[in-house]
Amino acid sequence: MIRFLLHRFALSLVTFWVIVTAVFFLLRLAPGGPFDGERRLPPEVEANLRAAYHLDEPLPQQYLRYLRMLASGDLGPSFEQKDFSVNELVARGAPVSLLVGGLALGLALVTGLAFGIVAGTRPDGAADRLLMGIANVGLALPSIVLAPLAVLVFAVWLRWLPAGGIGSPAHFVLPAIALALPFAAAIARLTRGGVADTLTEPHVRTARAKGLSSTRTLVWHVLPLGLQPVLSFLGPAAATLLTGSVVIEQVFDLPGIGRYFVQAALNRDYTLVMGVVVVYAALILVFNLLVDLAYARLDPRIRTAPE
Amino acid sequence: MTRRQRGGWRRTRCLSVLLAALLPLAIVTPPPALGEPAPVLRIGNAGEPATLDPHRYNLRLEETILTDLFLGLTTFDAHANVVPGAAERWQVSDDGLTWTFRLRDGLAWSDGTPLTAHDFVYSLRRLLDPATAASLAYFLYPLKNAAAVNAGEKPVTELGVHAPDDATLVLTLEKPYPYLPERLLYPTGYPVPRHVIERVGDAWVEPEHWVSNGAYVLEDWQPQASVTLRRNPRFADSGLPPAHVERVVYLPLASEQNAYNRYRAGDVHAIASFPAGQLDAVRDALPEHLRLSPLLSIMYLVFDTRRPPFDDARVREALALAIDRETLTDTVQRAGNVPSASFVPSLVSGYEPVPEPHAGLPGPERMARARALLEAAGYGPGNPLEITLRYISGTEQKRTSLAIAAFWQQLGVRTRLHQAELKVHFSDLRQGNFQVAIAGWFGESNPEHYLGLLKSDTGDVNYGGYRNPEFDAQMNRAAAVADLATRNRLLRDAEAIGIADFPVVPLYSVTVRRLVHPDLAGWYDNPRDAHPARFLHWR
Repeated sequence: MIRFLLHRFALSLVTFWVIVTAVFFLLRLAPGGPFDGERRLPPEVEANLRAAYHLDEPLPQQYLRYLRMLASGDLGPSFEQKDFSVNELVARGAPVSLLVGGLALGLALVTGLAFGIVAGTRPDGAADRLLMGIANVGLALPSIVLAPLAVLVFAVWLRWLPAGGIGSPAHFVLPAIALALPFAAAIARLTRGGVADTLTEPHVRTARAKGLSSTRTLVWHVLPLGLQPVLSFLGPAAATLLTGSVVIEQVFDLPGIGRYFVQAALNRDYTLVMGVVVVYAALILVFNLLVDLAYARLDPRIRTAPE
Repeated sequence: MTRRQRGGWRRTRCLSVLLAALLPLAIVTPPPALGEPAPVLRIGNAGEPATLDPHRYNLRLEETILTDLFLGLTTFDAHANVVPGAAERWQVSDDGLTWTFRLRDGLAWSDGTPLTAHDFVYSLRRLLDPATAASLAYFLYPLKNAAAVNAGEKPVTELGVHAPDDATLVLTLEKPYPYLPERLLYPTGYPVPRHVIERVGDAWVEPEHWVSNGAYVLEDWQPQASVTLRRNPRFADSGLPPAHVERVVYLPLASEQNAYNRYRAGDVHAIASFPAGQLDAVRDALPEHLRLSPLLSIMYLVFDTRRPPFDDARVREALALAIDRETLTDTVQRAGNVPSASFVPSLVSGYEPVPEPHAGLPGPERMARARALLEAAGYGPGNPLEITLRYISGTEQKRTSLAIAAFWQQLGVRTRLHQAELKVHFSDLRQGNFQVAIAGWFGESNPEHYLGLLKSDTGDVNYGGYRNPEFDAQMNRAAAVADLATRNRLLRDAEAIGIADFPVVPLYSVTVRRLVHPDLAGWYDNPRDAHPARFLHWR
């Protein structure tokens, strides 16, 4: 098990390095630079700026400088946000992204499981048809359509909830719901399928025949087996949700790191883009590692198979 | 299934549904009080400031906040006219080269430290010191030796600024520059607190170290969420009227749609812009909130005059003639923009811009003339002109470009459209990597600010590489004159020479579309779109 863990960890580190390197060079290949704007920049001023950010050095030297900084935990100064370091920006943005992602994950799990269980216990009943219909709509509606619609209805027309920004718990309601919906729908469908299939298994019938209550049967005999597809879906889904959604943060003016990703890329803010990529990559790799471990725990073949 | 079993499943089901329904309710709290007059003024800004260091700033949306935080030698009144600021009055020498500013009595930093002329000397030197890497340092290149100091060729002590005593500041110029009071409005001319910077370094811009001399001080800055200003009680010490509102919160609303939503939801009291497509809806639903105000600006087409086909002035003129600017602004854009026949915006004060030679000609005659010019240049049905028009990604620019291509199609010109995001667009333009492109220039009430773009020694913002020695000579003649009226007359002559060559096609001046709460007093529309918070109050 330890060997398996070390192996996976080393593999993650290599992946991380590949991502950092690829993004570093791709960014510099993109046309335009951090100091291209509509206002005039005399050559001496541009030279001052380039020197201040070490952009006057050869690219390999800049790359090594960046790796050295990264190794010491320093993401560098932001080109565009001059009053904050990338570390500060990420430290302030990540909690917002993680909070919205966490809320959405919780919401998706609770509603998805509830819908799925209700539908799955009476397959093809009226409730099943209705709930799965709703889930299909949820799957089909992308956040980019749903989120602005939600703002229009609940913030602008009804004025029940804020239209964007942060400041109170109410500010997180619409973003969390809009972010959660497609995931809730997916979980509902997976749960419904798993539960419906498991209900026909002999051991469930035996449990019922022995006089177990429906709730106990569901909790102890149906769900452990029926929820396995949901578990394998949750790994990547959690990573996606917790790293925030670029779209949701834009629509709701949330100061998370997803927004930096878009703006920094447009501004050619090399260090800030790198910083966000580093955080995203690290989070996704950690989740993948956790999922690998969970699989290994469930299935001994994975951890003992010759590599 | 038995009856009992069914009931059991139903109970479980009810429980799950209830749980799912309760979860969102549990985190809903009532939204904050909306849209009412409040001691806190919430203003939507056009985006997130990149810095609040007045020497390192770059954007108009940063100017908005910095104007509240600092007071320069000159400042705005409520109508954005240039009036004395930290300087009470000033004198200019006869040759226009020496400007002597007398500072107000009782000037102080927000921490109570007296503010003297030496603070201005320190600040101007800091702006032009190459180590500051100020991207707008060139705003004060009119100062003597400023360019050389900024290039590191001369020490900062050689800069044309000194303080004979605490209350007197003397600026020496390279050449006469009668627009200096306006140029000093920009944050590049603001004083920064030497006593704090020398103690804490770059951290001086953080709220806990913040010291400034404006009507407000920085209380808090949450990146991407808000910049909160608090009234500076020391501001009144200098005899200027203090701010009315205790706190001002600037929210970075980069998306026009989000700004519009949040204004309608009652979350902000004023916004910087809303989507052009909503103009008619706003006119119907919120007429008393709507503020349409033309901005000192010119949007124009620029031709690469160095290469065919646009090295031929006849081709440029033909394409200029074919564009009907009124149709463009009033029918295509419908965003309130103002058509312009001159390169210098008509809003520039004390100056009468020179329209294009054929500005008054009726449509059919313009088209006939354009066809004749194109034919003379060798283009026609057998040999159609094929060109690429570049524009910045976005709905409004796209519609504009499509309309321009349609105008040109009437001449048999085939136009390919090429869009790019802002950084790429201007990077391409500066490198001369285009044929014809949409560009824009914003800012000053000073004809030179616009005409300077066409001088051959201007560098890469003369995107099209326009070069006419006669135009250059006339611009240089004007630059040597200290008297404003004479100078503007010479500039008019230069404009007439330049516009007749059609290096650019003026299209329109941008109109700012704002929503402002009708109970907010002290907000006056003006061509600079400057609305210092210290003049705002609730009715």
